[in-house]
Amino acid sequence: MKHLTEEQKVLLEMVRDVADREIAPRAIELDEKHAFPEHAQKLFAELGLLNPLLPAEQGGTEMDNETFVMILEEIGRVCASTALLLIAQADGMLPIIHGGSPVLKEKFLRRFAGSSTLLTAFAATEPSAGSDLLAMKTRAVKKGDKYVINGQKCFITNGSLADIISLYAYTDPERGPKGMSVFVVEKGTPGLIYGRNEKKMGMRGCVNSQLFFENMEIPAENLIGAEGDGFANLMKALSINRVFCAAQAVGIAQGALERSISHARERVQFGKPIADLAPIQFMIADMATAVEAARLLTREAAQWLDEKDKKGVLLGGMAKTLASDTAMRVTTDAVQILGGAGYMQEYGVERMMRDAKLTQIYTGTNQITRLVTGRTLLRS
Amino acid sequence: MKILVCIKQVPDMEGKFQIDADGIWYSEEDLAWRMNEYDGYAVEQAVRLREQVGAAADLTVLSIGPDRVREAMKKAMAMGCDRGVHIKDNDAFRKDPFEIASLIAAFAGGKGFDVIFTGMQSQDRGSGQVGVLLAEMLGIPAVTTIVHFEFADGTLQVKRELEGGTKSVVRMKTPALVTCQLGLNTPRYPTLPNILQARKKELLSLEPSDLAKTEARLTTEKMYFPEKKGGMVLEGEPDKLADQLLAILREKTLVLR
Amino acid sequence: MYSNNEELRMAANMIRKAAREQVAPLAPSIDATGQLNPEVEGLLWDLGLMTVVFPQKYGGMAQHSGTFLCIGVEELARCCASSALMLIIQAVGSFPIIHGARPELLDRLLPRMVENRELAAYLVSEPGAGSDVASIRTTAVKDGDTYVITGTKCFATNGPVASVYSVLARTSNNGRDGLSFFLVERETPGLTIGKIEKKLGQKGSQTSEVHLEEVRVPAGNLLGEENKGFKLAMKDFDMSRPAVAAQALGIAEGAFEQMERYSRERETFGKQLCEHQMIQQILADSATLIEASRGLVYRAAAQYDEGKRNTKLASMAKVFASDAAMKITTDAIQVFGGYGYMQDYPVERMFRDAKLTQIFEGANQIQRLVIAREIRKENSTS
Repeated sequence: MKHLTEEQKVLLEMVRDVADREIAPRAIELDEKHAFPEHAQKLFAELGLLNPLLPAEQGGTEMDNETFVMILEEIGRVCASTALLLIAQADGMLPIIHGGSPVLKEKFLRRFAGSSTLLTAFAATEPSAGSDLLAMKTRAVKKGDKYVINGQKCFITNGSLADIISLYAYTDPERGPKGMSVFVVEKGTPGLIYGRNEKKMGMRGCVNSQLFFENMEIPAENLIGAEGDGFANLMKALSINRVFCAAQAVGIAQGALERSISHARERVQFGKPIADLAPIQFMIADMATAVEAARLLTREAAQWLDEKDKKGVLLGGMAKTLASDTAMRVTTDAVQILGGAGYMQEYGVERMMRDAKLTQIYTGTNQITRLVTGRTLLRS
Repeated sequence: MKILVCIKQVPDMEGKFQIDADGIWYSEEDLAWRMNEYDGYAVEQAVRLREQVGAAADLTVLSIGPDRVREAMKKAMAMGCDRGVHIKDNDAFRKDPFEIASLIAAFAGGKGFDVIFTGMQSQDRGSGQVGVLLAEMLGIPAVTTIVHFEFADGTLQVKRELEGGTKSVVRMKTPALVTCQLGLNTPRYPTLPNILQARKKELLSLEPSDLAKTEARLTTEKMYFPEKKGGMVLEGEPDKLADQLLAILREKTLVLR
Repeated sequence: MYSNNEELRMAANMIRKAAREQVAPLAPSIDATGQLNPEVEGLLWDLGLMTVVFPQKYGGMAQHSGTFLCIGVEELARCCASSALMLIIQAVGSFPIIHGARPELLDRLLPRMVENRELAAYLVSEPGAGSDVASIRTTAVKDGDTYVITGTKCFATNGPVASVYSVLARTSNNGRDGLSFFLVERETPGLTIGKIEKKLGQKGSQTSEVHLEEVRVPAGNLLGEENKGFKLAMKDFDMSRPAVAAQALGIAEGAFEQMERYSRERETFGKQLCEHQMIQQILADSATLIEASRGLVYRAAAQYDEGKRNTKLASMAKVFASDAAMKITTDAIQVFGGYGYMQDYPVERMFRDAKLTQIFEGANQIQRLVIAREIRKENSTS
């Protein structure tokens, strides 16, 4: 493991303090009210944490993946929904950062500099295109100096709040992957219609929207890269946001583990703390080992991605699978260790269990991530 | 205007403390470090003063200790200090308040600081003496445990917190020193851009031998955890319990006389 | 299992049909509002499920009461775990009364309960005593021909809505040999309902604290012998653990039915989900666990019905079926993908409901200790 720089240490201490003092106290209420974390949005904007991936050229701090992953762990530890805000924000920007011309980047990313509170969204998923993104149906047709877009997207995090949306659509359905493109859509574009916001089991402190496009017209310059670049752009974005999802899952698991340990030390049954009982010691050992392994794999993947090495993509998929399965298992065990209290809302661990489940599903279900990992390794 | 703020890096108070092999201090094993809580109020107030005065002000943060104290200094610089002075001393934990104050005085003497901020006390040793000793050595007035601070036209007006919630208002001309108490302010979080910019600020490193050689005036004899006394559960009828409890409070504790 | 008993098979089919038609459509709102629907409650009484373990002359089953209870719980849990929970708690809460009350008390109480459709609750757990039942601190002090009960109970399902409570309290300072059960009726002065909990799942039942402040009951309300309450509680588990296992089984079967159907409807990558081998793995593993759970549940129940000691099988059934339900519901959401995470689909509710079966009526860590102890007993020469 690389040693942290002094700047990273000061940053992480700040993030940990913010997480413990400003975010943790609101986590239960945020979940109960299905509320968007406005407080965190404003605070992150002031602290320069809302858009860490913004390139230096557009006034950002252009943070490396390794540091961002550590930040997501700290925040995920106390509130998965708030960590999701940062992930969604990064996701919405990645397609532009990866594929946009200097002019496009300047036009759409400059506005996120400083203490901007503007939001982004990443719009790929459709009702008939979840795991199978090539099956998407949204269509963009060039008409003069505009593209006319028709279709719909679903499960888009912060979709109905975002100021800019990175939208994937087919410009040439006949060509399959080479016929997909990606566009920037601004809030308020006529023809952009917001559907409902979903009611989810967990990660409820964020908004998840249906989007409809009815003859929505956007300027042709809003095309990111060239026509046909969309699918490669999508795959690249997914390969990176898988690692963010993994980091969030590590954080969730870490938070649940810490709650389990402190509870086991305090809860007295049969005349002594339950921490003295072998079954609890075994459970904690297995939980902690799994969290540590997931953490190391996730950070390793992030480091390789920072070096622009393909190994980062392979490890990233593995990290996502391992970390999310770990989060699911550790949170389920954490509820068990807290017993009846663990089942009650006020203790917070049942929320972590509900939150953990989504990490096994989004940024690619674990069935897909396993297929991708297996196929990569088995290719000759 | 020249401003100085003195900070100390202390262990995270949530950590698990153990007495070290010598038996006179705590062991540094497995501890996480952070800026002393009261020094946080001092840094925040110093930064606010610096912001109030504007371009004509320069704020230095100083700390004594091994290399790891640089992290606390970088945090202070990210909060708004212009420059840092690190007195590199791996033995600082062994030094008594007089030696510490002497080192700072040796640096600060003659440099013309108008206002010096320190924390009211450190969370580990808690002697509360360094600020006052430093002011004495520099021949400037000191006011301790301030919970309010104002500056105008070369005059400081501060409020001190006394026993029972009483406050006293003190006015003094600069140069002066204040020690800062809980309630003075809420320290800002260092923002990410400021943390990165702090990299470019000057951070001087000095050896104690460059400064002063002072004799310790205090030695620590021994440090130990309080003896664990057994607890007990009282059972029985309420009136007999009351008698038992009264007897214990009278005989075994100083709660009743 | 019970499939060779015509009567039980018919009962199972009838309950399954009633549950599907009348309870399933109400399950989402029951979860959302945290209230059991009065129509569902009425249905449970109409089907005879709320008196299953009562003595026959008061409306209970003459034979196979344990199996019938499991059948009722399983079939209801397929579509609504909260509804199934009502059956379990009714049985658990009435057990000390049925097995410990004097005939005069039974004669007075049970017909009234049946007539008025009253609910029972079981007050044992306390903030300081969960798994460690022997350390409960609620006291019952004899005063002339009454007992005075004082203490706080928590996690009492049906707390706010029950009319009769089986309360376990300390009658002497002898650890587990100093506990006794008492019947306390709702209107007794000094009994107050405390806070109502917000739970992860099985929300359609109210769980609360109950405070007992110098609650006076006639000495005749002692259930069973003084200081022998712990044994009575353990016998209650022999009946209830198979039922909890049956609830877990039902939840798992409900989730399985959902994911199996969805896997035939949903298409991805050009074919049905069920044609993808990874989904087939999940379906196969889930179905196998369900079969194994069913075997354990009904063997444990049959042993109970035969009047034999079924402690080991009851604990095995509870551990196995609840762990299976947790795994199967977690995988069921996975099969549904993003949709599974949305509250429009029932699988996320089943996931939340399943978790409780690993915890209540003896956390699974405790069950394993019980099983190991039974094995040791079986294998030691006296």
